[in-house]
Amino acid sequence: MQLRRIHDWLWEIPREGGMRVPGRVYSDGMPDPEDPALRQVANVAWLPGIVGASLAMPDMHWGYGFPIGGVAAVDPEHGAVSPGGVGYDINCGVRLVSTQLSARDVRPRLHEALAQLFRDVPTGVGSSAAIPRLSPRELDAVLVQGARWAFARGFAASSTDLEHCEEGGTLSGADPAAVSDRARERGADQLGTLGSGNHFLELDVVAEVFDEPAALAFGLVPGDLAIQIHSGSRGLGYQVCDEAVAALAPAMSRHGPDYACIPDPQLACAPVRSAAGRDYLAAMSAAANFAWANRQVMTGLAVRALQRALSLSEGELSARVVYDVCHNVAKHEDHVVEGRSRRLLVHRKGATRAFAPGDPRVPAAYREVGQPVLIPGDMGRYSYVLAGAAGAMSDTFGSSCHGAGRVLSRHAAMKRARGRSIHRELADRGIEVISRGKKTLAEEMSEAYKDVSRVVSVVERAGLSRLVARLEPMGVIKG
Amino acid sequence: MTVRLTLPQPWEEISHTADVGIAARGATPGEALARLVLALGALSAGGGAVEETAEEEFTVREGGDLAGTAVAVMREVLFRLATRGRIPCSCEVLSLRPGEARVRVGSGARDPVLHAEGADVKAVTWHQARLEPEGAGFRAQVILDV
Repeated sequence: MQLRRIHDWLWEIPREGGMRVPGRVYSDGMPDPEDPALRQVANVAWLPGIVGASLAMPDMHWGYGFPIGGVAAVDPEHGAVSPGGVGYDINCGVRLVSTQLSARDVRPRLHEALAQLFRDVPTGVGSSAAIPRLSPRELDAVLVQGARWAFARGFAASSTDLEHCEEGGTLSGADPAAVSDRARERGADQLGTLGSGNHFLELDVVAEVFDEPAALAFGLVPGDLAIQIHSGSRGLGYQVCDEAVAALAPAMSRHGPDYACIPDPQLACAPVRSAAGRDYLAAMSAAANFAWANRQVMTGLAVRALQRALSLSEGELSARVVYDVCHNVAKHEDHVVEGRSRRLLVHRKGATRAFAPGDPRVPAAYREVGQPVLIPGDMGRYSYVLAGAAGAMSDTFGSSCHGAGRVLSRHAAMKRARGRSIHRELADRGIEVISRGKKTLAEEMSEAYKDVSRVVSVVERAGLSRLVARLEPMGVIKG
Repeated sequence: MTVRLTLPQPWEEISHTADVGIAARGATPGEALARLVLALGALSAGGGAVEETAEEEFTVREGGDLAGTAVAVMREVLFRLATRGRIPCSCEVLSLRPGEARVRVGSGARDPVLHAEGADVKAVTWHQARLEPEGAGFRAQVILDV
């Protein structure tokens, strides 16, 4: 793949063939020209109605259709929506909850806290029954209301949870009727469950603060205990995406030659304004709401578990949602393009919204400093909290990276872990892990991932987001 | 003539950065596909034994070619696994042509302890899906999102 250097951290894939716009790749040094993800960046540039550039964040790696770390904005009047630009785990995202506990005080009782969390938050393959199975009517309400549904039922950290959630935890335009019976069947008993793979629930210590005013606004105090939850829409979301790709792929030629020529079947798409496009967005929004409700229920379960394990009152724990971001979504947003405000449909697949200071869509409490951008690393090193910056608004449709990005396949990670105890290695570093299976620990070991500090340094240099704090894991729950 | 295959069957894992690929071979397309179904079973069982307690026949009518139809069969199997916890442990492809397949699958219940090391498969993708001649037989493969 041909690459042209714009900056040390930004590389362009020049337009060629059917690319409507160039590709732009944020990267820690020159990307490997043989990286198949670069071909995916180029393929995304074929999408009808794409605006500006096909973007990739510095945690880019190969995905289905879109690369993970891909961002593409389209004109909704004339452009295409692609389920591959959202991903199977619709609204996979991260939530950060702060507490007023000192991590040092919790450490002697860390095992009790983790064990209680492991008991109370269902985790792992097929995990279910965090709350009674939802009736069809209740599920409809979840699909429309999102986090609001769970908050109204007492699953909460504090009164400001919904304010501190992207989109208030509810995406408008959701239509339960657009969600199939099969998707409902897959999701009905999974609300409040973590899942497995790279999903996790972590007890972290706020290890370092880089931007004191922002950390103060976010409520992050060095030495305090925080909770991170990484999960998404579970089987319901996977089924929605699966069915959408199955429906859209064979029908592309019906939308004309601009669609028929798109080079990758996993980049299946339809005009935003078509019935198929509208149906997908309605179902995707519903699945996104399911994910927000999921993280809200788990927030409530986690807070209660900590209170129980550590014999604390609500006031003593003082848990509060710092923010909740989604990594896989397509949303209508207003952005300034060539000096003019335009309504766009922004696909973010493994990318995070990162709105800058002053933006009215940032919660009032954070407006002066910018939207919190939560970037989980791997379970053995660190995660970061950043704040959205002006460069994101001008260059990436208000987007930043989402995590570390894998460098080893699961197979390769398992091979490298042979003869080792990842559990013991983490314990030696003061990190306790509870997981359903040993295999997950090997697959998710630190070496399988890029160093997230290098990923976030790129977005900082590029002006997309700026560093606020570093979190380090004390205890990890994996499925 | 069709053949009923049971776990364990030979299959290979295809290295893939983010996810898992599985591939299997057979003397016929049906045999390759049956082994691919059982590869999903083996992956989901994570090394634990699966006791067959039910058998079911289903038909899919999808896919413009053999690979697409194979994906459709795998998606059906995954749906049953994801919603009812049924791990496939025997498979017989009764008929197979581009656009249609009839399959008989025996399955056992997923056990959270016995199968704790099993993969949590989100979806069967169309990426690099194959069911085609290779050497003296046929090769079937899919990439799974995990």
